[in-house]
Amino acid sequence: MTDGTPAPSERPRSRRAVLAGTAGLAVATSGCVRQVRTVVNREAVDQLSVTIVTLPADGDREGIRLAREVAAVLEAVGVDVSIDMRSNEEFLRAVLINHEFDLYVGRHPGSTDPDFLYEALHSVYAEESGWQNPFGYANLQLDDLLEAQRRADGEEREAILAELLEELAREQPFAPICVPEEHRFVRTDRFDGWGEAHPSTRLGYLDLEPGDDVDRLRTAHTDARISENLNPLTAEYRDYEPFLELVYDSLATERDGEIEPWLAEDWAYDDGTLRVRLREDCRFHDDEPLDSGDVEFTYRLLQDSELGGGESSSPPPRYRGLAAAVEAIDVDGDLDLEFELEAGEAVAERVLTVPILPEHVWSERAAPATVRGVSVAQGATEAVTTDNVPPIGSGPFRFGSRTEREHVTLERFDDHFTRREGVDLPEASVEELRVGIDPRSTSAIELVNTDGADITSAILETYVLDDLEPAQETMSLESPSWTFYHLGFNTRRAPFANARFRRAVAGLLDKDWLVDDVFHGYAEPTATPVTEEWTPEGLAWNGEDPATPFFGSDGDLDVEAAREAFEDAGFSYDDGALRVRR
Amino acid sequence: MLVQVLLQLAVVVSLLTLAGIAVVVGRYRLRDTRREWASRLRAATPITVVLAVVLLANSVARQVVPDLSWMIGWNLTWAIYDLEGQFILWLQSFETPALTAFFSFVYIYGYVFLLVFPVVAYFALSNTRPLRELLTAYTLNYVLGLVLYTFVIAYGPRNMMPELVDALMYDTYPRYQHLTRQVNRNTNVFPSLHTSLAATVGVLAYQTREVYPRWAIVAVPLAISVAISTMYLGIHWAIDVVAGIVLAYVCVKLAGVLVGRWAISDRFDVGNPLSRLR
Repeated sequence: MTDGTPAPSERPRSRRAVLAGTAGLAVATSGCVRQVRTVVNREAVDQLSVTIVTLPADGDREGIRLAREVAAVLEAVGVDVSIDMRSNEEFLRAVLINHEFDLYVGRHPGSTDPDFLYEALHSVYAEESGWQNPFGYANLQLDDLLEAQRRADGEEREAILAELLEELAREQPFAPICVPEEHRFVRTDRFDGWGEAHPSTRLGYLDLEPGDDVDRLRTAHTDARISENLNPLTAEYRDYEPFLELVYDSLATERDGEIEPWLAEDWAYDDGTLRVRLREDCRFHDDEPLDSGDVEFTYRLLQDSELGGGESSSPPPRYRGLAAAVEAIDVDGDLDLEFELEAGEAVAERVLTVPILPEHVWSERAAPATVRGVSVAQGATEAVTTDNVPPIGSGPFRFGSRTEREHVTLERFDDHFTRREGVDLPEASVEELRVGIDPRSTSAIELVNTDGADITSAILETYVLDDLEPAQETMSLESPSWTFYHLGFNTRRAPFANARFRRAVAGLLDKDWLVDDVFHGYAEPTATPVTEEWTPEGLAWNGEDPATPFFGSDGDLDVEAAREAFEDAGFSYDDGALRVRR
Repeated sequence: MLVQVLLQLAVVVSLLTLAGIAVVVGRYRLRDTRREWASRLRAATPITVVLAVVLLANSVARQVVPDLSWMIGWNLTWAIYDLEGQFILWLQSFETPALTAFFSFVYIYGYVFLLVFPVVAYFALSNTRPLRELLTAYTLNYVLGLVLYTFVIAYGPRNMMPELVDALMYDTYPRYQHLTRQVNRNTNVFPSLHTSLAATVGVLAYQTREVYPRWAIVAVPLAISVAISTMYLGIHWAIDVVAGIVLAYVCVKLAGVLVGRWAISDRFDVGNPLSRLR
C-alpha cells in the first residue's frame, strides 16, 4: 500500500523547493496511509454463514426435518444457513472421513456402555478419520476422565462417568437431541421368538423358531449399503445393521448390555490382564482354521491398517476406541491369548466384541489402495477401502450371493461352533437368510403384510408408526434403543471451537417440541448421550433440558433472549446479522 | 411385487393403446400399414437401433453415474430450494384423494402410454419422418438427460420437506416405488425426464395436429398433466420441470435438423412434411 511513496523517514536534503514540497507531502500522506492500513488490514467481520450436512428424507426422514428446524432457529438468530443433503455413504464420508462440515445432524450408533465416548471425544483422535472424534474436539480435562473411567470398575467408574457427563453437558462438543424408539414389523406365522434378543445384534436373528417347512428368513431392509459393501472396517457403509455380525464372529457377544462368551470359550480378567481361551476347531468359511494368530492379527490391524508399513500408524475408521485399549497380546499356543489392557473389567470385556478377521485374507490388504494417477490419502489402505465381496468370516452364516441395491443372501455355515452338541448358544435355525433391499418403510411394511418378508430389519421411520396395523400374523416389535440424534459441531472451525457459542446454539433447540413434532412422540428428549441406566441424576430429563435450557417454550424461540445469549458469549450483531470472525 | 406391477402396467398401457388405435389411427391407415410395414420398418431401423443402444448404455451408466456425480459434487438442491421454496407447497395445498389418484395414474400409466402410443401412431403413417423424429428426440432426451444427471446432484422436494411435501404416491401406493426405483435414482431430479419426454411427445403431437387432430387433443393435455404430476407428487421441483421443457424443446429442434440431414432412407422428398403426411 505504501509502494511508490518515499519512506517517511527520508529527510528533504535538497534546496529545491519542489523536492521539499514533495517530501513534505510524503510526510503528510504517510500518516494517513498508516491509518488507512490500520483500518483496511483489520479483517472484515462477516455474517456467520454455515452449512448443515445431513441425509435426505430417503436416507433419514427425521434427520432432514431436524436439520431444517435447526436451520430455522439459526436463521432467527441472524445466521446465514444452507443445508447440504448427501446420500448415506457421502454423508458419513463428509463427516467422519473428510470432516467437511460446519454442523451436521444425524444419528449416532451410541452404545449400551458409555465407553464409546472415549472413541468419540478423546483429543488424540481429533486428527484421525472415522467414528473417532469427528468433532475435532480437544479438552484435556475430559481426556483424563475418559481414561480414568476405562480403568475403573463398579461404583468408582459410575462416579467418574457422572463427572465426565456433567463436563460433557457443559462443553457440548455435540448437542444430543433425543433417543428415538426402535420399532420393527414382523411376521409371526413363520417364526417365533422375535425380540428375545435385540434385532440390531446377531443374536436377534439366531435361535428364532421356524415353523414347519420354513428354512428361509427374509428381511426387508431399507438401507441399500449392505448390498454394496461388506467390509466391517469401512465407516461409510456401516451403522446399526446386524448382518456382518452374522458373517464375522467376535470373541464375545452382547446380550441386553451384558457381554457373553462367543468365539471365546471363556476368559478371566485380573488387574489389566485378560486371559482368553478360544473354542477348538473353529474354521473360516473358506475352510482355513481360525486360531489365536488370527485374533492377534485382527487387533494389530485395528490399531494400524498398514501393520507398521507406513510412516506413522493409520488406524481404521471403526473399532478405534476398543482396539486402543489393547497394550499387547501374547499368543500362547493355538487357542490361548493374553491381552494386556489399559482397562478395567467392564471395558476389557467390550474389547472382545470386535469382528475377528482371517489373517490369510487381510494381511495382503495392509498396502495402500491405489488408483492410477491419483494420490491416495495416508491410511487409505485396501483394508479400509475394499468392498470385501465375498466376505470370509467364521460366523454362523456365510456369504451366498448379492445384487447391488437388491439383496444380499447369506447361507448357513454348518461347521459353526454353535451347531455343535454341548454348545448351548443360539444357532442359525434356517438355511438361508435373505436381506432384501426395499427403499421405504411403507413398502417394507407392505412386504411383511403380504408375506414377502418376515421382518423390516432396519429401524422403521416414526411417521409410519401411527398407521401400523398388526394383523393376526404380524406384530409390531419394539426394542430398547441406544442410538441418538445429535447436532454435531466441527470444533476445528470457528466459531464452533468456542464452547460458549456451542452452548448458545444448543439452547436454540426445543428438544421436547422436536420429539413431538418430528418424531410424533416416538422418542425421548435427552441432555446426555448415554442410556438411562448411566444418566446421572443431575442430567435426567425433567420436562426441560437440565444442561442447556431452551430459550423459549413450545417450539417458539424467544429470539431476543437467544440473541442476548450470543451477545453474552461475546458475539455481536450488526443489522440483525450475527457477525463472526473466522 | 415388481413383476405384478409391471404386468399391470403392460395390460393397462396395451388397452389404452388399442383404444387409441381405434379412435386416432383408424381403419385405412391400418390397412396401408399392413401393406407397407416392411419398408417403413426399414426406414426406422437405424434410429431404432441407436435408441436401443442408448437405452442399454443408459441402464448400465445409471449404475456408475451416482458415484461419478458425487465425485464431481455439484449439489444444487439447496440453491433450487432457496430459489423457488414454497411453490410445491402451494401446489400440494390443492391435494384431494381424487387428485392424488389421478396424478399417480398419470405419472405411471399416462406417462408410459404417452411414450408408447405415438410410436405406434406414427408407424401407421406412410411418411416415416415423424416416427424418425420422435425416436431421435427420445434418444436425445436420454443422452442429454444422462449428461445433466452426471453433473448435477439434486434431491426432489419430497426429500427436502418430507413432512410438508407428502411423497403422495409412494405412501398411498407403496408398490410403485418398486417400479420407479428401477428407473430413477433419487439424486436425479434435474431436469425432469418425465417432463421432457412428455413435452417432446406433446410438441410433436402439436406439429402433427393436421394428421392426428384427436391425438393432439389427447397428448397435449396429458403431457401437461404429467409435468404437473411430477410436482404435485413431490418428486420434482418447478425448476426441474422448466429445465425438462427446455430440454424437450432442444431435443425436438435438434431431431428436426438431424433427421433432415442424415436421412438414410428418406425416399419422400418433402419440403413441408405436413403437406404430404396424409
